[in-house]
Amino acid sequence: MGFDVLLNAIWMVFSSGSAIYVLLGVMLGLCFGVIPGLGGTTALALLIPVTFTMDSLDAMYLAGGVMGATSFGGSITAILINTPGTAPNAATTFDGYPLSKQGKAGMAIGAAATASALGGILGLFTLLLVIPLAKELVLAFGPSEFFLLTVLGLVAIAVSARGKLLRGLIAGGFGLMLAFVGSDTVSGEIRFALGSDYLWDGIPLVPTLTGMFALSQMIELALKGGSVAAMGEEAKTRISGVWDGTKAVFVHWTVLLRGSAIGTIIGAIPGLGGTVASFIAYTSAVQASRDPSSFGKGNIVGVIAPESANNAKDGGSLVPTVAFGIPGSAETALFLGILVLHGIDPGPSILLQNEREVYGLIVALTLSAIGASLLGLIFARWLVMITYVNVHFLVPVVVTVSLTGVYVLDGRPGDVILAIIMGIIGYLMIRFDYPRLTLVIALVLGETAERSFHQTRQISDGEILSYMAARPQSLILIVLTLLTLFLPALRRRRARRAEPRTQ
Amino acid sequence: MKNALARGLAAAVLVTASAGAALAEWPEQPITFVVPYSPGGGFDAYARAVAPEMEKILGTEVVIENIPGAGGQKGAATVYRAEPDGYTIGIWNVPGLTVPQLLGRSSGYDLSDVTWIGNLATSKYALAVQPDSEFESLEDLCSQGEPFKHSDTGPASTSSVTARIAMSLIDCPIQNITGYKGSTDTIVGLMRGEVDATIKPIASLRKYADSGDVEILMTFEDEPSMEGVPTATELGYPDFANFDLRRIVGGPPGIPADIQEKLSSALIEAANSEAVQEWSENAGRPLDPVGAAEASQIMSNLMDFYSTYKDVLEQ
Repeated sequence: MGFDVLLNAIWMVFSSGSAIYVLLGVMLGLCFGVIPGLGGTTALALLIPVTFTMDSLDAMYLAGGVMGATSFGGSITAILINTPGTAPNAATTFDGYPLSKQGKAGMAIGAAATASALGGILGLFTLLLVIPLAKELVLAFGPSEFFLLTVLGLVAIAVSARGKLLRGLIAGGFGLMLAFVGSDTVSGEIRFALGSDYLWDGIPLVPTLTGMFALSQMIELALKGGSVAAMGEEAKTRISGVWDGTKAVFVHWTVLLRGSAIGTIIGAIPGLGGTVASFIAYTSAVQASRDPSSFGKGNIVGVIAPESANNAKDGGSLVPTVAFGIPGSAETALFLGILVLHGIDPGPSILLQNEREVYGLIVALTLSAIGASLLGLIFARWLVMITYVNVHFLVPVVVTVSLTGVYVLDGRPGDVILAIIMGIIGYLMIRFDYPRLTLVIALVLGETAERSFHQTRQISDGEILSYMAARPQSLILIVLTLLTLFLPALRRRRARRAEPRTQ
Repeated sequence: MKNALARGLAAAVLVTASAGAALAEWPEQPITFVVPYSPGGGFDAYARAVAPEMEKILGTEVVIENIPGAGGQKGAATVYRAEPDGYTIGIWNVPGLTVPQLLGRSSGYDLSDVTWIGNLATSKYALAVQPDSEFESLEDLCSQGEPFKHSDTGPASTSSVTARIAMSLIDCPIQNITGYKGSTDTIVGLMRGEVDATIKPIASLRKYADSGDVEILMTFEDEPSMEGVPTATELGYPDFANFDLRRIVGGPPGIPADIQEKLSSALIEAANSEAVQEWSENAGRPLDPVGAAEASQIMSNLMDFYSTYKDVLEQ
């Protein structure tokens, strides 16, 4: 097993003093995570040239430190100002922000920190367990499974918009429309690019997310005035709240396990990512709960589920990497880019030839998940103060920093304009109560859905259903999708039947 | 009148002096080196390998800028539209970019105008199947009674172009399964059994062959570069060796000849430097640097070669 190698790698981090790079990475990751619009991919992309002069192992420590910290960093702003620092933290706002408004921000942060750390560890632990099977796992999931997973994701969106089903579907439909802008995956034709080459590859995700979540929220806060949390909350409640949050994760350990499992699995599938993972973890927690209507109003489980998933995905996303040296996510693609820069050519033998770099990354990710959460817990008390800052200071700072972050990513003014447009659309969605996350998930899934569907069609020579029926992986996904679709209706019927007895 | 004349003379002197000064002192600013793909790929690797050496040689920063999109067309268009002052150059996805241009669907660039600076490497292709595949030769693939399935990233990718033209030369029916996100994904698609075979650069396939995950049936070369693997020429397909993938560097049309020369010699010197040669060894990336004149010749031969197959590409 790889455990002796792992222990050796852990020993190496501390004995060589290179642990400093992990710490640097953690602090960088936290900063980039907290700032809405910046995230793990931006941080790593900016780091690539910096790592050129470093030893490849130290570069891995730095990259791992960054990767493991951004998901927790993003939860802080998600909870405190309803603005996810990174897209995978969007689901954390559903219950994290209501908790802040009730003065329980400390508890939410404590729960997020603990769930992130444990979720990250569980994800990496799972990765180590499956290393011997990695190749088979990667080969088991092909275009038909990718397509069915996107269908599952879209169904989950539809189902989750309880009470505003129509608005959820409209938002999702609009998201799909946006996803189809850009070059067709099969013929290469450019669609809806409106004459400029900015949209050739479709609507870029980062400016859209920044606009839709960060800017729209800032517009809302600015118009509302005041500060996030109501005045006059007791300081004592805030601080002790942090430990309540930590304890809650252990009380709801099933949620933690389920969220981590979902995060790891979805992380291992290329093209889905942390946003989808955290969203599906959230909706499955809602469905599995005995009191689904308490979500969205400050149920701590609504923080635990997505936060464990968006850290567990880091472990999952390394499965294709250890199997074939290929990326499982945008961040792992950049991590591999760092290796290429150091003259390493990642391939199927990456574990044989570059064992120390891969295990170095795994160790750094583990330490980072723990370290970022510890730092978060220590500074929770001060972080919570942000909820008491007046919006006249908060809004301009966040808007400026977010737009700068969007511009820094690719240096295109179009990105900034897009972010502003999305910000306005996002604000209108807030005002008229349309779910923004639904639109975003549909946008993320749309491209993969279309591409995988056409691939499946071509591979199966048009006999799509019989092709899927012959694959157990596909059948399982079809069953899961049907369950997701009909389970809520079944439960409602069971609940209605139970009612006469209580009257 | 005298005033105007004096002013005119002063202006003329200033312009000449500054033009002369500019040429004599180039480079005075950082140079942007555009890579038309996201970081971590083959083109990116070559650019990032030579850039630091070019910095030392030219005495100015050489900054890599990744502009991915539309199969390399976005990066190409960005370089094509830049000022021809030698401060923007790029690495071009060739012959991939020839396809949209030949079919009249390209926008933003014209390969026949580009100021070519040098070619870093020429990669040859190979044909791979699954390790325990029922197909033991190209004939097996072609005699199935239906087109064999081939994985690639899209109709403008060099692998798709090579596959379609090569198979048309021997009347072998082929079906291109596209939509894969990158060339690595096309190889994974082969491993999963979604397709029967794939044609990719030797450097990309080699590591999968070494680990036993794919089997290479033949390389499209005249001289064998892989032990135990026959060349297409040996097996009776000499035309296949004409297909190759270039790592060619160029700038916008109209770069002054002396700046082109400086860029070209800097590029070649960088490619021949000890650091880059070592990188090439370790990373398994071939290097065969040639300068501006040869690069321009390569490009015009290439355009002629692919234009003869226009009708195949149009399908």
